[in-house]
Amino acid sequence: MSAWFRLNLALLTARLVAAACNLFHYPGTSLPGVVALNVCPNAVNLMTPAYERVLAVTGTNGKTTTANLLAHFLRAAGRPVAHNAMGANMLPGVATALFQDRQFNGQPRSRIALLEVDEGSVGKVFAAARPELVIVTNYFRDQLDRYWEMERTIALLREAVAALPRATLVLNADDPLVVAVDQGRAQVRYFGVLKENRPVSENGIGQGGQRAVAADGGAGRQGCEPAATTGTASTRETREGRFCQRCGTALTYNYFHFGQLGDYFCSNCGFRRPELDYAAWGISENELLCMSVSIRGASASAPDYDAAAAVPPGGTVPLRKSRLQTAPDGERRELKLTAPLRGFFNVYNVLAATAAAKELGVSDKVIQFAARCYKPATGRMEDFEFAGRRCTLALIKNPVGANEVLKTLIQTGGAKALVIAINDLAADGRDVSWLWDADFACLADPSVGRVICAGLRAADFAVCLKYAGVPLERIEVAPERPASLRRLAAQQADKLYVLATYTNLFDYARLLGRLGSAVEQHAH
Amino acid sequence: MRIRVCHLYPDLLNLYGDRGNVLIFCRRAEWRGIEVQLDLISLSDQVRFTDYDFIFTGGGADLDQGLVSKDLEMRGPVLIDAVEHGVALLCICGGYQLLGRYYRAQDGATLPGVGLFDLYTEAGSRRLKGNILLDLDPELKGGIMPCRGQQLDTLVGFENHSGRTFLGETVRPLARVIRGNGNNGDDGTEGVNYKNAFGTYLHGPFLSKNPHFADLLIARALFRRHGSVDLAPLDDTLEINAHRVMERRLR
Repeated sequence: MSAWFRLNLALLTARLVAAACNLFHYPGTSLPGVVALNVCPNAVNLMTPAYERVLAVTGTNGKTTTANLLAHFLRAAGRPVAHNAMGANMLPGVATALFQDRQFNGQPRSRIALLEVDEGSVGKVFAAARPELVIVTNYFRDQLDRYWEMERTIALLREAVAALPRATLVLNADDPLVVAVDQGRAQVRYFGVLKENRPVSENGIGQGGQRAVAADGGAGRQGCEPAATTGTASTRETREGRFCQRCGTALTYNYFHFGQLGDYFCSNCGFRRPELDYAAWGISENELLCMSVSIRGASASAPDYDAAAAVPPGGTVPLRKSRLQTAPDGERRELKLTAPLRGFFNVYNVLAATAAAKELGVSDKVIQFAARCYKPATGRMEDFEFAGRRCTLALIKNPVGANEVLKTLIQTGGAKALVIAINDLAADGRDVSWLWDADFACLADPSVGRVICAGLRAADFAVCLKYAGVPLERIEVAPERPASLRRLAAQQADKLYVLATYTNLFDYARLLGRLGSAVEQHAH
Repeated sequence: MRIRVCHLYPDLLNLYGDRGNVLIFCRRAEWRGIEVQLDLISLSDQVRFTDYDFIFTGGGADLDQGLVSKDLEMRGPVLIDAVEHGVALLCICGGYQLLGRYYRAQDGATLPGVGLFDLYTEAGSRRLKGNILLDLDPELKGGIMPCRGQQLDTLVGFENHSGRTFLGETVRPLARVIRGNGNNGDDGTEGVNYKNAFGTYLHGPFLSKNPHFADLLIARALFRRHGSVDLAPLDDTLEINAHRVMERRLR
């Protein structure tokens, strides 16, 4: 059977499965790909060469938001993007998105394929799709029962990237674990966040030394410090990568942002945070996230393309498919951005998407415009109108991500009530031990009223809250989703929150949408 | 009354929520009006283990476990001495393996252990992971106090290990496997008990759903200096519920 025939048969299969999923209201973000890959195992290899560009985003946290932002920037620039936007980020999810984008004449509808790739799937997906630009967001502990240990995950990415010698890497310089992927290749762009919102000139980028603090000492910004507990073991934030990836010496930090992200150096071998090509500073986060991105070198003067540059609808002006810009040293310039996002962690997501968009030649104006009208993905601090109040839905899946959501929540004024829904299905991670590494102690804050524990592991989570110091009378167990929302609606609080692990997220989004609109109808 | 707790290698052996166990141990002591002194001890810190009532160590990533293994080599004899004198100890996963006689890797290389427990571990190819339900060793059941009128004699938790551990003649298992794999997936044993020292593969905050075992540890820790202590009962509604939910799921 010829490859062409097999691929089209797979395409037909994918379409049929997708239609069946649709019929039964089953989210067909992955299943069509699973079935179609059985028909044509190398479908992704066969489909990706039809795109002008193939881009990939991987890492532990921020993949979905970074990829969605970048897709949004590229579309605003008149470049249609095929994208596994729903977070199905293993090979079948990637295949599903590409099949969806493929027409029966063999041509894709879009010009660019943007793939969000699970950390554990980089080997398979990169080998098949051969991305020419790879963004790596960060490495935190996540679902260790699935990936065993982070060292292994990072080694996996290193191997996958080594097989793509021509790819440009867009790396988070603030994460020593991500930087270890670089290994001296020429085409690397680094992004990072400066200290205390000071501009580059006052920050001494890459000049580690004077203000050094020990690896568990200073914090780069104020956050939700856990309530005092016995000893320091429980007040420590989880930090990975405390040791130099080259020589094993403990890293010294000039400052931390969160987790192990910050400005670090090794006093023994000279390993340090690389110079930043894209540096965020001047950050303010209220209802809107405002930041300035300082762009260095040729990245600052790359030729732009944007919607205004006479790209017809459907975007057929080809980009050069050859190599991306290499940077001679040059001046820095500033790009001011505002996005309807909340939470400091989103600074990294906006920054990563901006860096990649600039490398791809998207103009400042388009990025600024697109950032302003971005809409958060499902459950990434997504707002609903529920029970007459604002209810924010947020995904939590690992300690560092959960801590950042909690910090953002605590910093918001007013009385709060929460549902926290913990599941332990395969996509959540079977092991919920990570809950004990997150700082739920901040929920002992007097502004937090009731915390309703939901999900398959509601009972475990209630115990976790108890030992984190949340008063017993504030803890409630209501495992079922509708019951948990009824209890939430009954709370006297200014702001409501639902924090959920992955397999709870979409159901809560659906319920909040439905019940929320019901509330509005009653109001009229 | 005072209880002195040593958290050994909190910065290295902390793979997944292990510190939860220390938190639970300390809180449950404090709620009984027992003053808690918690010391965090890591590589090359000077320490006298006999100054403590309870020593805890968790599991770590391969790299960190290598660092710990070197440090433990030096501390081995004093640690064994402390346990011989009745100091209570709980070690989990990596810590559990390191306190045995040796660990044999897949390539046949042997990493010597401290030898505190009469057991050895061999690398396995398949990871043994998932929720686990255990029946406490009969010798330990006697030391369990009723929680809110209920006598718990099972343990529940989550295991995740590729090592296969085999117990020697001079130690008892912590429990028998009802659902799950345990020490090696074959002989039905899980964990180890020698004097007041315990080891287990139940990683993460193992004590959270096993308040009765947490209290057994506290009682054993106090015994050396205070003899038999009656621990006042606590409101363990949430803990027992969590235990029962998982027990029902696995039965």
